[in-house]
Amino acid sequence: MQLLKSNVAQDIITHGLSCGAHFVEVFVERTHNESMVFKNSRAEDTQSGTIFGIGIRLIHGEQALYGYTNSTDRDELLRITSLLGARIGKSGTSQTVNFETLNYPKIPVLQDKEVDAKYKLSFLKNIDLGLRSDKKVSQVALNFIKKKQLIEVYNSDGLFATEERPYIRLIHQVIMKDGTHQSEASYGPGAIGGWEFMETLNTREICEMLLKQASNTLYAPACPAGKMPVVIDNGFGGVIFHEACGHLLETTSVEKKASVFWDKLGEQIAHTALSAVDDGTISGAWGSLSIDDEGMATQKTNLIENGVLKRFISDRLGEVKTGHKRTGSGRRQSYKFAPASRMRNTYIEKGPYELEQLLSSVQDGLYARKMGGGSVDPSTGQFNFSVQEAYLIKNGKITTPVKGATLIGTGPDIMKKISMVGQNLELMAGTCGSVSGSIPTTVGQPPIKVDEILVGGEA
Amino acid sequence: MKKIMEKVLNSVADQKADGDLIFSGSKSLKMSSQKGSISTYNVSSSQMLGIRVIKEGRVGISYTEAMDDESLKLLVKQALQNAEMNEPNEHETILDLKGQLTDEAIYPEPPVDISIKTARALSLEEGVKTLDPRVVAVPYNSYAESEYSSQYLSSRGRGTSYQDKSYSITSSALMDDKGKKSSYYDFHIAHTFEALQWNKVIETSLLHARNLLDEKSLPTGKYNVRFSEDSLKSLLECFSNFYSAKSAMDKLNPWASSLGELVMSKDLTIIDEPAHPGAFRATRFDAEGVEATSLTLVENGTLKAFIHNSMTASFYKTKTTGHAYRSPSTSLQVSGTHFVVKGKNKKPMPSKYLEVIQMDGLYSGANRVTGDFSVGVKGYVWEHGQKVMTFGGITLSGNLIEILKNVEVVGENLMASTDQSFFAVPLLFHGLSVAGTG
Repeated sequence: MQLLKSNVAQDIITHGLSCGAHFVEVFVERTHNESMVFKNSRAEDTQSGTIFGIGIRLIHGEQALYGYTNSTDRDELLRITSLLGARIGKSGTSQTVNFETLNYPKIPVLQDKEVDAKYKLSFLKNIDLGLRSDKKVSQVALNFIKKKQLIEVYNSDGLFATEERPYIRLIHQVIMKDGTHQSEASYGPGAIGGWEFMETLNTREICEMLLKQASNTLYAPACPAGKMPVVIDNGFGGVIFHEACGHLLETTSVEKKASVFWDKLGEQIAHTALSAVDDGTISGAWGSLSIDDEGMATQKTNLIENGVLKRFISDRLGEVKTGHKRTGSGRRQSYKFAPASRMRNTYIEKGPYELEQLLSSVQDGLYARKMGGGSVDPSTGQFNFSVQEAYLIKNGKITTPVKGATLIGTGPDIMKKISMVGQNLELMAGTCGSVSGSIPTTVGQPPIKVDEILVGGEA
Repeated sequence: MKKIMEKVLNSVADQKADGDLIFSGSKSLKMSSQKGSISTYNVSSSQMLGIRVIKEGRVGISYTEAMDDESLKLLVKQALQNAEMNEPNEHETILDLKGQLTDEAIYPEPPVDISIKTARALSLEEGVKTLDPRVVAVPYNSYAESEYSSQYLSSRGRGTSYQDKSYSITSSALMDDKGKKSSYYDFHIAHTFEALQWNKVIETSLLHARNLLDEKSLPTGKYNVRFSEDSLKSLLECFSNFYSAKSAMDKLNPWASSLGELVMSKDLTIIDEPAHPGAFRATRFDAEGVEATSLTLVENGTLKAFIHNSMTASFYKTKTTGHAYRSPSTSLQVSGTHFVVKGKNKKPMPSKYLEVIQMDGLYSGANRVTGDFSVGVKGYVWEHGQKVMTFGGITLSGNLIEILKNVEVVGENLMASTDQSFFAVPLLFHGLSVAGTG
């Protein structure tokens, strides 16, 4: 069953065009959310809910007009369209658009398998028990998230496209305490799919990994400060590329010249060792989509090849404003946001080296086993990241664990200093917040070596 | 809406359960410009109804944006199903309060034509560009107005009603001077269109962006630091779990067992003041319908109280402090209102210190359990009462628990954050680690 009658969508689009818009789009969304917080060894917060709404976008030249409502009432939708259309201040031709359903290649999505709620609870209980096997663990919090998003897109090009996207994620957090020493470890695997993804998780290994991380950093001294070479391990280490470069390649920044890379297409912006992609088509990956939120089939986009900037991440309005072709990257958190060019599954492609080769090339430096979050100012390229789990490197060997490390620099500078890229590529789920809200994205990389970066820590 | 809420609560009662409902609705208009014309123009209206049911001691939450009969029935059904999943919680109940509390603000002003709003919105870009040829873009600029309303109704007979309206503006400056780049943004919020400070956001953005063009790194070492009001607010809010009874319950509060102990300099007193006279908006009641009152959290350096809702209060065998927080889609939490940091024994400013005006990556670089933080910062070096240098490209690290112990009060007047929700006397923190050059 369609969320919005197509004749109502047709009326909105006809009305928008008659107001002078060059392009009209109707985005309809119904998302059912479920979550459970398992904390203090029990289910503490189980909730669910449904969001539903309609977003209407009129584009006139480079001007974007956007409105949304929870109502499916035709008159209310036309009223919002009129409100937006009045901003154009011109009248256009009244034309009726006939919709043609978009056929697109569906990315292989894990099945949306469902299991009994009590089974989910016992699954979480077992992880909690595993993590509490260490007496120094003072708290375990497991945040289980499941949602099913159904979207419909109609536009004045005659497009009708729909997609159902199931998401599942389990965020683990463990706190360890011994006297005045405290440490924290977290891990948040997620996928586009259902419970069968949870069945692929090796919960015993996850517990061991988290306990090891928390134990190693429990008594760790503060990280020394200064410029040094850093080896960043795979998986969530990819957040550094996401923040330091990925956001700077979105046309949302490029169109305002608010990216240091806005005029660098075809130029060497990174070390020749580095190639990177933004790929929406990976089976089951947390940031994958069959179509974007503008109804365009998603794709694999080669961003950087051997250090040369090949492509920007572009949406419809980005194409209008910059001329860079759309890449199936128009994304939004919900109907409450107009779409914008956003990353999907973004990662550095694998290189030739073993991790040991990267480490052995460093005399004195830092091994960032696991990165935390970070932020970037796209206009200047300045970024900073926290490191969750870090060790000093001495004479090519991993030695003392340290805590409180941050990495700071600028995107253009660090991209040129990634001199070695390892083989073992790993992807990790994350949530990216930007102009069109918080969306599921994947970051990833093999281990990389940065020749020099400023490490924040104890002076 | 009240009739709908009463109908839903009747169906909760039919299931032999207690419950409360929160309805929120908003309308907004936002526009921004690019290259001298309005580039984005957003209008919206939305609503959400959320329910919390308690049956046999088990709590369940559900919410919906659709208000038809079928959706409302599903709302109650899902909340009851969710409750079955949770373990009983003897401490969470619907408070036995009755009566209606109302806080519906009205800010009289003559209607403002959309053409005037549009012209002023355009000035946020144009104003910055015309004042300095080195401005290459104004990437963040916007004019926004929003109306927000909420209603609360419990099965025990407590009702509240809240309504507010706000206007806000943002501007920024991205500058390029022979390849050196800098950017800064500023915003202002007001209850009326007339009260918006258009020039202030333009001039502040330009002032700091110009100065940051000359930013240099600092030698790695220990420094004395004064945070701007907005930076200090961000830092203390990031660690607001230190004052939270809920975080203490969850073993995520390092001060959980420090009540009555000296936790910071004896010169500091911190009060949560819902009706602080300088606040953007006074808070009259919390999300359980409890009237809000002033609460001293820290007195002369000694931790005196945590902020509570009725659940945490029951757990700790005390009274709620009226700090319950819940949106339609969230469970019962606690939240402060306006933090006021007062000080005594004012000391003179040292001959040299850093003034932090911008922090980046605080939430990812902070450990709320240990108090450790490490952030990218920008600002000014002060020597003998003069700004002598602009710094950037460095990280600042420390542990909040430790640095609060030897903080010095260096001013007498309370200064407000830009959003008028945080107030503090000027403070100087000692011995923070800077990672920079060398």
